[in-house]
Amino acid sequence: MRHVVHPVYSKEFIQNKVKFSVGYDIVSAMATVININNISKSFGKVRAVQNLSFSVEAGSCFGFLGPNGAGKTTAMKIIYGKCSRDKNSDDTMDIFGYDPAENELAIKYLSGVVQQENNLDDELNVAQNLMIYSKFYNMPVREARERIEYLLDFFELSDKKKSKIKELSGGMKRRLVIARALLNSPRLLILDEPTTGLDPQVRHLIWEKIRQLQKQQTTVLLTTHYMEEAFQLCDYLLIMHKGKKIMEGKPTELLEKNIEEYVLEILDTEIIKPEHREISQSNIRTEDTPGVMRYYSDDIDVLKDFAAGCLESGNYMIRQTNLEDVFLHATGRQLDDRQ
Amino acid sequence: MTDSKVPKYPPLHIRLYSVWYRHMRVYTKNLLSNGFPPFVEPLIFLAGVGLGLGKYITEPMGGVRYIEYLGVGLLVTTAMFTSAFECSFGTFIRLEFEKVYDGMLAAPMTVNNLIVGEMLWAGTKGFFFSFAVLCILAAFKIIILPYGLFAPFVGFLTGVVFASLSLLVTSFVKTINHFNFYFTGLISPMFFFSGVVFPVENLPVFIRPVAELVPLTHSVRLVRAVCINNYDPILLLDLLYIVAFIILIGFLAIHRLKKRLVN
Repeated sequence: MRHVVHPVYSKEFIQNKVKFSVGYDIVSAMATVININNISKSFGKVRAVQNLSFSVEAGSCFGFLGPNGAGKTTAMKIIYGKCSRDKNSDDTMDIFGYDPAENELAIKYLSGVVQQENNLDDELNVAQNLMIYSKFYNMPVREARERIEYLLDFFELSDKKKSKIKELSGGMKRRLVIARALLNSPRLLILDEPTTGLDPQVRHLIWEKIRQLQKQQTTVLLTTHYMEEAFQLCDYLLIMHKGKKIMEGKPTELLEKNIEEYVLEILDTEIIKPEHREISQSNIRTEDTPGVMRYYSDDIDVLKDFAAGCLESGNYMIRQTNLEDVFLHATGRQLDDRQ
Repeated sequence: MTDSKVPKYPPLHIRLYSVWYRHMRVYTKNLLSNGFPPFVEPLIFLAGVGLGLGKYITEPMGGVRYIEYLGVGLLVTTAMFTSAFECSFGTFIRLEFEKVYDGMLAAPMTVNNLIVGEMLWAGTKGFFFSFAVLCILAAFKIIILPYGLFAPFVGFLTGVVFASLSLLVTSFVKTINHFNFYFTGLISPMFFFSGVVFPVENLPVFIRPVAELVPLTHSVRLVRAVCINNYDPILLLDLLYIVAFIILIGFLAIHRLKKRLVN
């Protein structure tokens, strides 16, 4: 369950946000702000993105899930103009009213982007790194200083203001990069694997901040391969595999529609009698993978009865299925050549 | 959506300025270590010539003392070197190692803005390095002010020339070691055979057209004219060459780097 988030933005910030956000002072809750239809991108023979379509509602968090090489980052890059999509007469892109092929600058001005790599300027300190970017957005110096103070405070980096980048931990660098993306109070925040490689404390802090931004009607696009992250943050998910969309929906819907509610897992497969490897019961689905045997069912009692009949306690585990089960079910358990 | 709602993203001159500002801030962050060499290097050079080599070259060269001949040449070679380094090694590191451009291109600017800003910054460095040499030359009364005061502007042009050339080279380079070919094969020969160390008229006849092809020869001719305040109309050809070179090579560099930055 989402817990209640208290408003964290100062009055000045909200005023500034209204001032910066050109033409979108009030966003109706259900308006779609991104409409992508049938876009593709090839790199030589590799079809990184194939006929991808989706739409994003204002103020929602839209997540892209997929293994490495699925095309998530490429899709993001196409949106903010770092990557040009294949020419195709029947594709359309509408990001806050603009097509990146024609109005790259408008989209970049409305967006904040956090790329996979922390591309900070090592020569400059924390505040200077942000100051440089404030120039890219043509922010007046005083306004930029106030905004930098505010963002450093928001990300709990205030005492690192004068620190060199090399003195920062991985988590601090990541928070700084996110702060940098928020300088211009973006309508759209694009986060490409925001918490990969970070410890749980930082990860939870970043999630918390993203939720707070959402409360302020910031639309968030996020790629991840952490199911927990997707489940915690995203209102809507799109699972990609080998450049294609394979399923989409609200996280709970994806669970309900695509997988049984419970799973019985046996790690020591040698204890399973051959006759139990294939079960004819219609309310149990078996999945036999090297090292792990899984039995899925919507009824936990069916699994309990089955386990009681042929297994000793301690040899198995029954749990609720989660997004990771859906993901692996959808994308397969084997590695492919892009991973 | 109507055009009236197009966001007020920064206008062109601000976008170019912001790229320039980024480079300026990073460069001036280490002002002492970055600011010293342009003043010290010409000192070493001129001391070497004044104390040693110069004594053996008693005949005037190009109508002036040898130390003046060489010193005036240094006004543009220093701009050439700093700009060539900035837009080869510097650009490559920003592009491939630090990924600085990836971040910048997510802000409201195009690849064109980024590269042109890069060239303007290299020109600025050319101006500054040229100015440093001018200070040394003036301090030792090797050239006469105020004419020489215009030399840094030729330094600026030289900086932009070698920025466009180096950016074009960078667009081809896969590993940073490849720049050795550029510096050994093109930049060093230019230093020696473009009328800096001795007049191009002294080159063998069949090599002279080659000297006219490379940009430094034209920069040197311009800066010599500036320093002696003697403007021959033929210099317009040198200026024309430099402008054409910047436009043509700069255009190619942007075109090729765009493929690398926006894929």
